[in-house]
Amino acid sequence: MTKNPFEEIPLLISRSQITTEINMTGEWRFVRPTYDEKTAPCSAACPAGEDIARIEMLASRGMFREAYQTILMENPLPAVCGRVCFHNCERTCNRGGYDQPVGIHQLERFIGDMAIAEGWQEITRQSSHGAKRIAIAGSGPAGLSAAYFLARLGYECDIFEADRAPGGVLRWGIPAYRLPENVLNHEIERITGLGVKIFCNMPVTQAFLNKAKDTYSAVFIACGYGRSVRMGIPGEAMANDGLKLLHDIRNGKAPNLEGTAAVIGGGNTALDVARSLIRLGVKPVLVYRRRRSDMPAFGHEVETALKEGVKLKELLAPLRMKANMGDILLTVQKMKPVDLKDGTRPRVIPDSDKTETMKVQQVFTAIGADANENWYLPPIKEELSFPPPTSKTKEKLLMMSHCTLIRQYLPTVFGGDLTNPVKSVSDAVASGKQAAMALDTFFRKGWDAIEERLAECRVGSGPSLSMEIYLGENRKNRNPYQVSFEDINPDYFEPADRIKPVALSPAESILSFAETEQTFSEHCALEEAGRCFNCGICNDCDNCLIFCPEIAVLRRHETDADNSPLASRRINFDYCKGCGICVVECPRNAISLEEEK
Amino acid sequence: MKEVLEGSHAVSEAVRLARVQVMSSYPITPQTHIMEALSEYCADRRMNARFICVESEHSAMAAVIGASSTGVRTFTATSSHGLALMHELLHWASAARLPIVMAEVNRALGPGWNIWMDQTDSLSQRDTGWIQLYCADAQEALDTTLQAFRLAEMVNLPVMVVLDAFFLSHTYEPVDVPEQEDADRFLPSFSPRFQIDTQNPCAISQMAPPAYYMEMRHGIQMAMEQVADRFEKTEAEFQAIFGRKYGRAEAVQCEDAEIIMVIVGTAAGTCRQVIADLRAQGEKAGLLRLKMFRPFPTDLIRDISGKAEKIAVIDRNCSFGAGGIFAQEIRAALCNHDRHPHVFSYIAGLGGRDITTEILEEIYRMTRAAAAPENESVWVGLRN
Repeated sequence: MTKNPFEEIPLLISRSQITTEINMTGEWRFVRPTYDEKTAPCSAACPAGEDIARIEMLASRGMFREAYQTILMENPLPAVCGRVCFHNCERTCNRGGYDQPVGIHQLERFIGDMAIAEGWQEITRQSSHGAKRIAIAGSGPAGLSAAYFLARLGYECDIFEADRAPGGVLRWGIPAYRLPENVLNHEIERITGLGVKIFCNMPVTQAFLNKAKDTYSAVFIACGYGRSVRMGIPGEAMANDGLKLLHDIRNGKAPNLEGTAAVIGGGNTALDVARSLIRLGVKPVLVYRRRRSDMPAFGHEVETALKEGVKLKELLAPLRMKANMGDILLTVQKMKPVDLKDGTRPRVIPDSDKTETMKVQQVFTAIGADANENWYLPPIKEELSFPPPTSKTKEKLLMMSHCTLIRQYLPTVFGGDLTNPVKSVSDAVASGKQAAMALDTFFRKGWDAIEERLAECRVGSGPSLSMEIYLGENRKNRNPYQVSFEDINPDYFEPADRIKPVALSPAESILSFAETEQTFSEHCALEEAGRCFNCGICNDCDNCLIFCPEIAVLRRHETDADNSPLASRRINFDYCKGCGICVVECPRNAISLEEEK
Repeated sequence: MKEVLEGSHAVSEAVRLARVQVMSSYPITPQTHIMEALSEYCADRRMNARFICVESEHSAMAAVIGASSTGVRTFTATSSHGLALMHELLHWASAARLPIVMAEVNRALGPGWNIWMDQTDSLSQRDTGWIQLYCADAQEALDTTLQAFRLAEMVNLPVMVVLDAFFLSHTYEPVDVPEQEDADRFLPSFSPRFQIDTQNPCAISQMAPPAYYMEMRHGIQMAMEQVADRFEKTEAEFQAIFGRKYGRAEAVQCEDAEIIMVIVGTAAGTCRQVIADLRAQGEKAGLLRLKMFRPFPTDLIRDISGKAEKIAVIDRNCSFGAGGIFAQEIRAALCNHDRHPHVFSYIAGLGGRDITTEILEEIYRMTRAAAAPENESVWVGLRN
């Protein structure tokens, strides 16, 4: 073994150092992979159509400022919505099919609060075109949203608010333990920072509208529900208006109350009233004529209220109220559901003549509200009640998902709670956005272009709309296909419990109007954002590049101006043989296969 | 140092001593203990090696093929269906001339589902270009595995070290485990004759047209023809350090034997006892235990069986429609030899059935009684 031990062993194998690039395996291909970003179910479920998959991708990398910009593209109120939105997004979150949905609302709140703390503004306003002015009636979330989006599109906006401070339901209807005043103020300042003017103590009147044509090119009416519905029962004069209680508390005029209070109703206002009362030292009892499962209030609100000690009595309808030695005797009729069908709210009828009398010290009603003025409501037919037609052009009416547009001498949009399918803050934001897009399209391309133009801006199958798509930016390339859990490759994700924010216990919560939940720490935000599957969008994981057997995925290292990870990848079709491995190994369905033409 | 080791762990110790750099495997009984121990060595850093987890044996072999192409020492282990699943890549490994070492624990193929001893799995891979070495005890399993790396790297061919299921893989015996220093002396680090290297890019294993393919295959054959000589030199070096030697085949009292019993694997131990008993009765019986199956030791078979009248081959396998596989190989080795004893073929001990002294004595008596083989193969120990 002193000689070269290999000498006598022949070793002939295929080996060459010339390039194999001549072997164009792309010729074998009959299906072609394409980077095809799709729609995450959360973003389609978000009334404001926020690009949540991308927001969480940016947040998971600590790019909170970019995440904030991404939210602001679609929603001017992240710190508000992060707190008060009913987060439909989380109900559709694909991560829910794996372990628990991502805490999207908590992340939005974190990003919104960080923007406030850091003083981020950076919303760009397009150059004004012809200085069209828009009048907006009501400074609630719908009015603020309409002003924000219109201002960004280059319009001058004046908001007219009847109350002494802007915000509408955000300021007067939502208790401070859900939305502190300073958060609201900061978000409104962001909108006025765009040049939007808000005139308080200035209710919009018919007289104003009659003259508005001289100054304004259009008007947006979103005055909300201001007048509580009455029960119409004997002794009702002894009952207090729940909405007024909420308004008084936010106005620093909380009444001194004690004992037990009956709160009539089952909606979110009834819940807010009951939870406010318990903070004032009263024992609230919710009296609802249907069952808990039929309550229009959001489920998590009901749950929290019950944890805080609010009592709930179901299937009871108020019959009469009577004074008794300083107490109130509230007599209620027992009800029973009939025509029970799956998925629909059953009718209730009196359960023979069974009644019950409760002795309480106060009664608050929150059984619904109407518009203060009838003309706040959109006309339902093309026979317009107001403003009276004065022009010879034929009036037209366009009913959309979140607002109704009327073409008349002064183009008018009715929006907000009065037209929205769901009475929520984010639906109000959606309403303002839809109104802004509709008016802008009307001014630029005419009435007939509106429906088609808005349909192009749908997130997924709609009805949510995207301003980013409207502006023709990156998101316009997004495939409307909504990614389902079956489209996710779960091999690439580790189970991880959803992070719970630090929160007051129910016993601590009811001692004051302080917020019950804290905003995430940065550490928690990073971790929670990292739980997001980023459904349908590329997050630079590079699985396609790693698994491609032909090394046909090419990556440029310079970042594209639009910062999209996809822009820095391409497939070299000289060598891609269409095996589809990249499609299977993409954890989040951001690549599709299509047949070669 | 002597330790009481399970046969599987004797292999694991050899792999550790060989300083293997990349391993991959998919669990299958009765192989699993080998890789279990090695995965722990990787995890606790007793070995500086990468263990690639895969979803199948096909991928395990693909992984070590890839790793071996980069010039690192590689190891895998499997059994039965796992080996069958690797089949395609077994050809690839040898034709790519990669010195991969694999432990293969002989186990029956289903159905009927059976996890016990049977040689059909490894013998089905006869023509894949792998060197096959069959062991009979735990010490031999350790020593052979260590030698396998040396041999594979010398001839650029993969080596399969074969162990009996349970009889060897799961049985504890005292084993002399070499010191690392001595193992290093016997097996220096691997210096590949070629490797893929990102600093010096090249393409390998690409198309070989008719003008080249045949020369490549001839190269494998010529390398195989060198194995006997290299193996003996390897054993000599091993013996110089550790004092142990096995040979390509082991002959026990064959010099004057009239009947030689040929057997492979642990049943040789039983046969050794039977031969001693027969000798005590005045019978001229001998034992030939085959260790190397590929390349086939034709020269040894011819030498050892030179004087015998009859050869009784006991196969724990069957090539259906032809009979015992070792018997066929031995017949083929002898047919062009000037002395050609009768070759009797017996099939016994399939699917883990024990080969007892009674069975071996019966085989001896049947062989002695017959003038010449009457059947292709005789099945022994069948239930009525």
